[in-house]
Amino acid sequence: MECCGPGYASPAEAMKAPCERLLYTIAIYTGTGIQKPDYLCTIDADPDSRTYSQVISRLEMPGIGDELHHMGWNACSSCHGDAGMERKYLIVPGVRTSTLHIVDCATDPRNPTLFKVIEGSEIKTKTNLSAPHTVHCLGSEIIISMLGDAQGRAPGGYLHLDKNFEIIGRWENSMGDIKFGYDFWYQPRHNVMVSSEWAAPNTFMPGFDLEEVGHLKYGRELHFWDFEKKEPVQTMYLGEDGLIPLEVRFHHDPASSHGFVGAALSANIIHWWKDDAGEWRWEKIIDVENEPHPEWPIPIPGVISVILLSMDDRFLYFCNWLHGDIRQYDISDPHNPKLTGQVWMGGLLDRAPVVNGVTVTGGPQMIQLSLDGKRLYVTTSLFSTWDNQFYPEIRTNGGCMLMVNCDTEGGGMEIDPDFVVDFGKEPNGPSRCHETRYPGGDCTSDIWL
Amino acid sequence: MTMYTITLVNRGDATYQVDGKKTLLESLRAQGVDLPYGCKYGGCITCAAKITKGSVNQTAQVALNNRQINDGYVILCVARPTSDCTFEIGVESHDQLYRNPFLDPLKPHELKADVATPLKDSSEELL
Repeated sequence: MECCGPGYASPAEAMKAPCERLLYTIAIYTGTGIQKPDYLCTIDADPDSRTYSQVISRLEMPGIGDELHHMGWNACSSCHGDAGMERKYLIVPGVRTSTLHIVDCATDPRNPTLFKVIEGSEIKTKTNLSAPHTVHCLGSEIIISMLGDAQGRAPGGYLHLDKNFEIIGRWENSMGDIKFGYDFWYQPRHNVMVSSEWAAPNTFMPGFDLEEVGHLKYGRELHFWDFEKKEPVQTMYLGEDGLIPLEVRFHHDPASSHGFVGAALSANIIHWWKDDAGEWRWEKIIDVENEPHPEWPIPIPGVISVILLSMDDRFLYFCNWLHGDIRQYDISDPHNPKLTGQVWMGGLLDRAPVVNGVTVTGGPQMIQLSLDGKRLYVTTSLFSTWDNQFYPEIRTNGGCMLMVNCDTEGGGMEIDPDFVVDFGKEPNGPSRCHETRYPGGDCTSDIWL
Repeated sequence: MTMYTITLVNRGDATYQVDGKKTLLESLRAQGVDLPYGCKYGGCITCAAKITKGSVNQTAQVALNNRQINDGYVILCVARPTSDCTFEIGVESHDQLYRNPFLDPLKPHELKADVATPLKDSSEELL
């Protein structure tokens, strides 16, 4: 197919793209005691370069206390057919300040620069929303899930920006009976968007009180939207199997109705699909058992903080942030996943305290997979206040980034011995690394129409 | 205008005169104290400090559970002083703020105010 706009004509075309040479990764000082802004790191991922596996530039945000967390591109393969669009800007929100940073990554990809700032106060005034999380582009426009109203109460809503980053307003026409927001993904050929639930910002931001789960202050539902009407039409009550459903992923194949969500606290993978009668169905396909700790009164759940699908939709990856393992499942048959790989780094079970000479503080958390499916980049920090609860040593040790080589033929995973970025040695002191994106798009950024 | 004296023990006992009508974050930052903060509406805990003497009005805060309040934590972005106060500020004061919930669960009365079960009498705290 003739190429004109950003991204790729299809997932299969994306897999043939050149290997990633640069990584953009968020690093935070919020909650560390170091009074410096959070920043966007550029990391050299070219194995032939002298600065391979090092931070080569740092773009500080203008303010402190943002808690940079997730981020997204201004354009992806959803506007591949639009020659007027370019994948040029990363939208980098601060969860705590609600401020959006628009970063130009195309003018000099090795040294991104700040293009524009949308202040949290402006967003709150115009939309009564706060706590930005997931960023997706919708053709040439952008929507961002906002987890709270201006006072941090659930359920929040969706912020709609035009392609020039001007606030249009609220995207959704109705939040229906949705109690909480978090992640979302859309599959236009089925006219569907699926959204998940964390909690109100006022609940999760100060830290995790397990007891509040029983008081229904954390999510346990999944919502199916009429994408064109911009309103929720069906809710799946996941119950005890689906406590705190976080990352939502549809198959990359735009014709597929299959999708997956990781229920963090239940440590289950939930699969959904549209059956032959056109009804949405769900089932639990993976259940990670809690692990007892010799000295603690409550067994430790895996806490599946992230899931990701390879571009060919064959492999599902997820992290158990508290246990410390990353798993690879073959989901060629999405109803019957097969465990094909597992590696350990950090975690509370003490299975892999040191990897590649670096003491891993935290556990495997955010992951990003190369378009060809062979290199999985992993960072260790979840969220500043939750880090401080479960891995207090991260204040002095900082986070780290590792790479896992993935076998895309027979399955299997192995931690790469030559790649490690130690955020404990950053110039301004130990910082914590979170989400990663590549200049050309990655396995969690692009959607096909 | 009622003014109070705020002493910061981990800043060499430095003292500041502040207006009882303004938030402590606003008053202290205006006088050059470098403090962490995030949401500025009392919900995110980033600006928590520990009070060791004095009293504040922090009814607008929604970040702290009852255990954290009993341990002396104050959300500076919404708290206003109601007397002279002494604080330990910044992350250095957060030694008791964070807790692993699997290692050290909260008792029903230690939850956040909106879901806590009030204590019936003082002997219950010992259970």
